[in-house]
Amino acid sequence: MSYINIDQELCTGCRRCAEVCPVDAIEGEEGKPQKINTEICIMCGQCVQKCSVYAPYFDDGITPINMKLQERGMLESVKEPLFAAYNIGQAKKVREALANPQLFKVVQCAPAVRVAIAEEFGLNLGALTPGKMAAALRRLGFNKVYDTNFGADLTIMEEGNELIKRVTEGKDLPLFTSCCPAWVKFMEQAYPELLKNLSTCKSPQQMQGAIIKTYGAKINNMDPAKIFSVSVMPCTCKPFESDRPEMMASGYKDVDVVITTRELAYLIKDKGIDFANLPDEGFDLPLGDYTGAATIFGSTGGVMEAALRTAYEIITKNPIPKIDIEFVRGGEGVRTATVQIGDLELKIAVVAGLKNVLPILEDLKKGKSDYHFIEVMACPEGCISGGGQPKVLLEEYRGIAYKNRKDAIYKHDSELKLRKSHENPDIKKLYDEFLGEPLGKQSHHLLHTKYKSRKEK
Amino acid sequence: MKTKLNSFVVANAAKCIGCKSCEVACFTVHNRNNHVAATVGTVTVPIIPRLYLIRSEHGTIPIQCRHCEDAPCANVCPVGAIKQEGNAIIINEKTCIGCKTCLLACPFGAIDLLPQYDDGKEVLQINLKEEEEGGLTQKARVIAYKCDLCEDIGEPACIKACPVNALTLVTPTEERKARNKEAALSLIKTING
Repeated sequence: MSYINIDQELCTGCRRCAEVCPVDAIEGEEGKPQKINTEICIMCGQCVQKCSVYAPYFDDGITPINMKLQERGMLESVKEPLFAAYNIGQAKKVREALANPQLFKVVQCAPAVRVAIAEEFGLNLGALTPGKMAAALRRLGFNKVYDTNFGADLTIMEEGNELIKRVTEGKDLPLFTSCCPAWVKFMEQAYPELLKNLSTCKSPQQMQGAIIKTYGAKINNMDPAKIFSVSVMPCTCKPFESDRPEMMASGYKDVDVVITTRELAYLIKDKGIDFANLPDEGFDLPLGDYTGAATIFGSTGGVMEAALRTAYEIITKNPIPKIDIEFVRGGEGVRTATVQIGDLELKIAVVAGLKNVLPILEDLKKGKSDYHFIEVMACPEGCISGGGQPKVLLEEYRGIAYKNRKDAIYKHDSELKLRKSHENPDIKKLYDEFLGEPLGKQSHHLLHTKYKSRKEK
Repeated sequence: MKTKLNSFVVANAAKCIGCKSCEVACFTVHNRNNHVAATVGTVTVPIIPRLYLIRSEHGTIPIQCRHCEDAPCANVCPVGAIKQEGNAIIINEKTCIGCKTCLLACPFGAIDLLPQYDDGKEVLQINLKEEEEGGLTQKARVIAYKCDLCEDIGEPACIKACPVNALTLVTPTEERKARNKEAALSLIKTING
């Protein structure tokens, strides 16, 4: 199954999608319908964000809209216009599961969702609404409203320690982040020889999924077979990630279904929930507890900043002098720096927009790289600009949307009492009660993964 | 007497890539009354643009109102819903009766007649009903739509939205003068060698 598609009936061949595709997976002549080369498509969904060719509602000459909704796995209540480039949706599966009283329904939400979901209900671009989002998820019928942010704090515990270990041993450097599934797929298909440099850490989504069906099942006294685990992501590649056969560390599919930010909005509208007027509610504990470090994962540089906050304190055993590490923040492109951590001079790079990583990978292949740690996000400004995020109607809104979403993420971080992953009390408890220690046996089994070459021989 | 000719938007077929951004932009700025905000999810009504991307074997190009000086649409409107306002020909959608005479009169096909939407819902007629499954239902109100040069926002949204700058606002008097100058310069250059 291909997750990202182009409607052959609608596509006019303007090729604006091809301009934003970082892997040149969109093929076709100008003026003719385009096709996606699914072998190399990394499912980042930037084409979905860019496409402006819509299905005319009053045109009798095309397949009726209700049939198109069905083809795309969209709820029949969706009223918004349909565009030529689209991703296959999963909202119907979620709606079905929510109506099933036999299941224990659990949801997790990525950090970038709470700074964008409100846009679909007419609130300002980048409106920060974690409380309304949690309330909406509860009204949809989820038994537990957890948070990928908890998984992000957990990722920092594992990845931060992995970084320290690799730097200490001087092995397999630089370490690349592995939170972005589009980037991971790209490495597997284009640079398999560098896979040892990818962090073995699963993404926050998959860590959270594995914990929900193990530790979560235990604390809720629930048979994991009955847990239906949903994640809400800004990303169109996350369903691909959750479908990887190795993502069954709990003994079950760790994340049953992934929906995008836009699809969550469909479900909320389908149920007639007045999102804008919902009260603010909290996430369920302990797996919905998070720090500021987790929330900034949604923006480019966020994983790096979160990792540095924790790595600095683990290595030096002292509080980090300045918690806002502003030089890693930014937009599309590459940012590099040298960070002094005790005696260690850590060389880092932050890459947003997959094309920008190519020179770094080529240097590494030639043995010319002296970085220790590199964050890569496939989308132009990280997850806030993901393929599953609300789609702007006018190109002139795009910059404002990304800026406002990013500002909201950093505002959320600055307003949280705890801003370092290792200070999350429920993460500490998780290690005490269940995991043992970072990079330990249980962590290794549940939270780490392996990669495989997808390169044709 | 008014001497300034009406402005109009014209597209350059050599540049147009057929992406329909102009149509989406046109719809977006004309549907604040339908709660259309910044993202696609806020759209609950069909996209009704006021310019129409036309595809042919020779290429693509959007077609829209020329804001004719002796506007046939305005001349034939039986209820006076089409008027000269500023430097544009404007349809008053409130008084339009959907008779389609303007559609027939327009030499460019720049006018379309489609249901009216307000507050995210189809506007219904007061008296006229039609037979549907489940009995008689009130008939939707259909009105004429065409380019109004975005009179409310100052500059045509289609021009701003075009990613390849294929659209331009023509101000005929200035355009003519500019072309006069170009021709004069060219002549002078030719004569002077």
